[in-house]
Amino acid sequence: MKASARAMALLLAGSMALAACASDEPAAEGGGEGGGGAAAEELRVGLAYDTGGRGDRSFNDSAYTGAAAATDALGGELQELSPNDDASNRADLLVQLAEQGFNPVIAVGFNYDDVIAEVAPQFPDTTFAQVDGSNADGAKGDNVTGLIFAEEEGSFLAGVAAALKSESGRVGFVGGVESPLIEKFEAGYVAGAQAVNPQITVDRQYISPAGDFSGFNDPARGQIVAQGMFDGGADIVYHAAGGSGLGVFQAAAASGNRAIGVDSDQYLTVSDPALQAVIMTSMLKRVDNAVEGFINDYAEGNVEGATDVLNDLSTEGIDLATSGGFIDDIQSEIDQYKQQIIDGTVTVPTTIE
Amino acid sequence: MTGLARRVGLSLFGPLLAVLVALVISALVIALIGEDPIAAFRVMVDLGDSPSQQVQSIVVVLNRAVPLFLAGLAVAVAFRMGLFNIGVEGQYRLATVLAAAVGAAVVLPAPLHLLVIVVVAMVVGALWAGIVGVLKVTRGVSEVISSIMLNFIALGLASYLLTGPLRGSPPGASIITTSEIPGSGRVPSLNGLLTGLGLAEPRSGLYGFLLVAIVVGVVVAVLLKRTRFGFDLRATGLSPSAATASGVDARGMVVKTMLISGAIAGLIGLPDLLGSQYDYGTEFTAGLGFLGIAVALLGRSAPLGIALAALLFAFLDRAALPLQFADIPSSVVTIIQGTIVLAVVIANEVARRLALRSAERAGASAGPDSGVGDGGTPPPTSPDGGQRVRAGVPGDPQGAQA
Amino acid sequence: MAPADSPADGQGTAGGDAPLAVELRRITKRFPGVVANRDIELRVRRGEVHAIVGENGAGKSTLMKTLYGEHRPDEGEVLVDGRPVQFRSPADAIAAGIGMVHQHFMLADNFTVLENVVLGSEPTKRGRLDVAEARRRITDISDRYSLGLDPDALVEDLGVGDRQRVEIAKVLYRDARILILDEPTAVLVPQEVDELFGNLAELKREGLTVIFISHKLDEVRRVADSITVIRRGTTVGTADPRTTTAKQLAELMVGAELPTPETRESTVRDTPVLQLVDVTVTDAGERPVVDDVTLTVREGEVVGIAGVEGNGQAELVDAIMGLRPLAAGRVLLGTDDVTAWSTRARREAGVGFIPEDRHRQGMLLDAPLWENRILGHQTRPPAVKGPFIDRRGARADTARIMREYDVRAPGPDTLAVALSGGNQQKLIVGREMSAEPRLLVAAHPTRGVDVGAQSVVWELLKDARAEGLGIVLISADLDELIGLSDTLHVMLRGRLVATLDPGRVTPEELGGHMTGARTTAGAS
Repeated sequence: MKASARAMALLLAGSMALAACASDEPAAEGGGEGGGGAAAEELRVGLAYDTGGRGDRSFNDSAYTGAAAATDALGGELQELSPNDDASNRADLLVQLAEQGFNPVIAVGFNYDDVIAEVAPQFPDTTFAQVDGSNADGAKGDNVTGLIFAEEEGSFLAGVAAALKSESGRVGFVGGVESPLIEKFEAGYVAGAQAVNPQITVDRQYISPAGDFSGFNDPARGQIVAQGMFDGGADIVYHAAGGSGLGVFQAAAASGNRAIGVDSDQYLTVSDPALQAVIMTSMLKRVDNAVEGFINDYAEGNVEGATDVLNDLSTEGIDLATSGGFIDDIQSEIDQYKQQIIDGTVTVPTTIE
Repeated sequence: MTGLARRVGLSLFGPLLAVLVALVISALVIALIGEDPIAAFRVMVDLGDSPSQQVQSIVVVLNRAVPLFLAGLAVAVAFRMGLFNIGVEGQYRLATVLAAAVGAAVVLPAPLHLLVIVVVAMVVGALWAGIVGVLKVTRGVSEVISSIMLNFIALGLASYLLTGPLRGSPPGASIITTSEIPGSGRVPSLNGLLTGLGLAEPRSGLYGFLLVAIVVGVVVAVLLKRTRFGFDLRATGLSPSAATASGVDARGMVVKTMLISGAIAGLIGLPDLLGSQYDYGTEFTAGLGFLGIAVALLGRSAPLGIALAALLFAFLDRAALPLQFADIPSSVVTIIQGTIVLAVVIANEVARRLALRSAERAGASAGPDSGVGDGGTPPPTSPDGGQRVRAGVPGDPQGAQA
Repeated sequence: MAPADSPADGQGTAGGDAPLAVELRRITKRFPGVVANRDIELRVRRGEVHAIVGENGAGKSTLMKTLYGEHRPDEGEVLVDGRPVQFRSPADAIAAGIGMVHQHFMLADNFTVLENVVLGSEPTKRGRLDVAEARRRITDISDRYSLGLDPDALVEDLGVGDRQRVEIAKVLYRDARILILDEPTAVLVPQEVDELFGNLAELKREGLTVIFISHKLDEVRRVADSITVIRRGTTVGTADPRTTTAKQLAELMVGAELPTPETRESTVRDTPVLQLVDVTVTDAGERPVVDDVTLTVREGEVVGIAGVEGNGQAELVDAIMGLRPLAAGRVLLGTDDVTAWSTRARREAGVGFIPEDRHRQGMLLDAPLWENRILGHQTRPPAVKGPFIDRRGARADTARIMREYDVRAPGPDTLAVALSGGNQQKLIVGREMSAEPRLLVAAHPTRGVDVGAQSVVWELLKDARAEGLGIVLISADLDELIGLSDTLHVMLRGRLVATLDPGRVTPEELGGHMTGARTTAGAS
């Protein structure tokens, strides 16, 4: 298995090197780190982050974890690139990675929608993947795979947990930036909460409007928004606000209420015990698993392109964390809903009405 | 002439010193994190191996520099008359979304279509900035406060327009955008020019808006340096009280200057909009207005200096990628940019003092009869001899009596 | 009078047994291309008021900066109380007991007297400002030297004289034994000057030493115990004020005869160039600061406005220039009612302006001279061509002004900040005259200007007047007012309270009117 993967990688890298030569001036490759030579044996994965780059303790880091796990297991090189502060050079990141012969090239974030559609056709021999971006219709090119998530399913379970645990009959949702992606979280959460308790009130608020990405990285405003909800009687607030979530936890800790984390198991990632104590659960979006899976597929030659890989409850690409044991008592009910979603007996909406 | 040469030298001295200090600090930081500073700097100046990569790198730098240059100009025009237009950010975002929407909505022959888009952007930017000016002269509201506040409103408004009435992208799309501007409203790339010069064809197009930016830069330079209006503007910046006494209508100047600053700000988003994006969306580059403040500061508010500063920032921006390939954290670039801006504030002060001393010497050596000017450089004082903090901006109760 | 290198005049020997408070020996200070001070010799005895006189640009400021530690001399020695010292900064000078009262006050307007005095050397008790201790010391200083300060008064409410006393208190608070006063009388009216001299006498009686920089020779002779004259960067002699006349001093200073402001025969014609009719200007609080002023300036007439500063003269100037809206009344320029005209329109219609504070209103200090030539004439040749600046024309005309008005500077590209006060003022006068105005508003045209430049300015005003220029002259220099004016009005609390004949009035009488001590009836 492993040997075959290596052979595959060798083959691919070799062909890629040839392709690179072909797509560029012949003289170009001489001085490069070498399309051939020692590096040729290895899998060379390129990873392009979105705003915030590596070290965001969220999304980008999660992608890195997956890519690193895959390259560790398979052997090979992992090249990460973070964009500049305003992420105006996303296209350049992809071009650079492809030009330098990295394959596959994985773009993290839906903001790559336009640029990957622009860049991928220029490098037909490079395999691309985009986290959070769909390419089911192949519009972005035949060599692009979408790694997408059913966030609404996990958010539904978060809503279930919140409704079951709420004593006030009022829960909250804090979104980072008003956008179709975050609205998926909101829609699932509201549906889950109402499935348990049709009378429940769900306060919903976004930190920043569309186009202003500060809402993903503004704990102070996250805290203000969540505090408002707690003051208004909500006792559990779910956030889909990236780095601003920290503020939500702080507001919960300050007011003696609870919060639900997002993306990673935030009970494990926050270091402050006071904050740990308020993180009831987290909606897990396993970007790492998705990325790792994709690289493995690539190494095995199983990537078709122009398709989506959907990560949902059934693939465990989406889940609800149990760390801290706060939701152990309602686990059976959550599992019931989970099974119903997987079976298709419960359909979770992806947009808000 | 030597005096002129010396002054030019001194005006270059500040920024150069700043860059140098920033490089030294960055080298220390790089060394502290266990990397080789020399190697890092070598990576930064390496544009690529093949001619096409090199040309591509230059195109990337130029394409980044164009909006930065325009942003720096917008800030600088206001700076030159002592106004701090922090609202450039909101001005260009609002201008871009509206220009994009208008550009997608109208059908016109190519040059006219383009002209309409540019005019809409400039008018929107100017009007939005004009609010700041009007508030200042009629209500005495500090332009710093009002322009910051208007930023929030502009961003919210742009977001509302984008997600609401001006939305052109299909529902459910991750990135919300306006409708695409058709070909007649786009600015062709200058790649033909590059290949015509015998250079390799770059992968991405060199923004045709570069030429517009150059024209705007020249116009602003002429306006500031060679026209009566520019003289009034600079005089007001140097001394609001002296300008008022000389017959400058300080209130009018505030509004006019804000209108010009805003009109230039309206152009900031157009290189991207008309050169590569063709629509305004949620992922449209944000923060250029704030970067413009740093660029204007580094360029000492002079068009040529701003051009150099924009190129430097763009160059550093691009350098972040090769650094990452060399496994050096790209935050090195952020550190360099930050230290440059900090150092520039310090270096400008040093250069200013040197210029002053040199001026004093020049004055002192004027006649054999006169020693060092007894006039010296006492700070500006009010007539009663009590020293006041100079507001530095016209339109305050003292400055706006006209 | 005695040459500098034999300072042992009558008084010198008298103080020979006690060490000198300050002694400078052969001080030389060079700047590239120029020697600002050369072989300066200065001997100041303890407990005396020692005046240093010289033209602006003679090197007084350089010398004082040396003494106050603002820079170090290239050669020579500074001795304080007989001991050689080397000051690296003003802090060193303060530590050695030297204090400086600057010509331009360094006070925070919105602070109280107490806060201003302690600012920078606040007494603290457990890290907090010890107000009681500060108040005790300030009251003590105020009583001892008869400064009459109220520690809790806001500085912005104080008059110029009081502000100066606050400055003096600041220095004394820091335990200065030697006080340097830089042109202290430049901003004072005669009565305030008398008070200042009273204060200096108190200081002297307490054993303090005062170094008094001035170019007002009459005052110097009144207050000083000895005088050192500086010319062209070096000490040219010392003088005994009791035996030396002002004329002799002036000749020592400039090597020429003292100019007089007196005008020759009257050139007043009948045509009015400026008429103010019932002009009232109010401040922010609707209080009239110019109250119902009516006056006429005719061609060839100099109309002087005398008054203690702050009695509405500045506002009157603003009203004439269109810098301040009128609450009531009209302004007529020739036959045109210009009440609603902008400043620029008035300037274009032939109004020249020499502002009282040239740094604030008359110049762009950080701009070259040729740009300063344009200032105020942005719409007229030779500075502009259509909407564009005519750089060549402006430079050429600046060179002409520099030549004709004796502005000493390397060239039109020199920054204005580099010029001495006198040269700046000559440039302003030259600039305003170039446009051939009908009316000139001259506020304190010779303030802070050396004797040489003063005479140039006076001559210019006289010549222009003879050619039919109408001049509104506002000045604190009573000799200047009396000497130049054809008609003299006195302004008090915003009103014109007296009209005097400059041919007959004395400075003392004029001063009495200015303070309201005399009325028109008693003027005789």
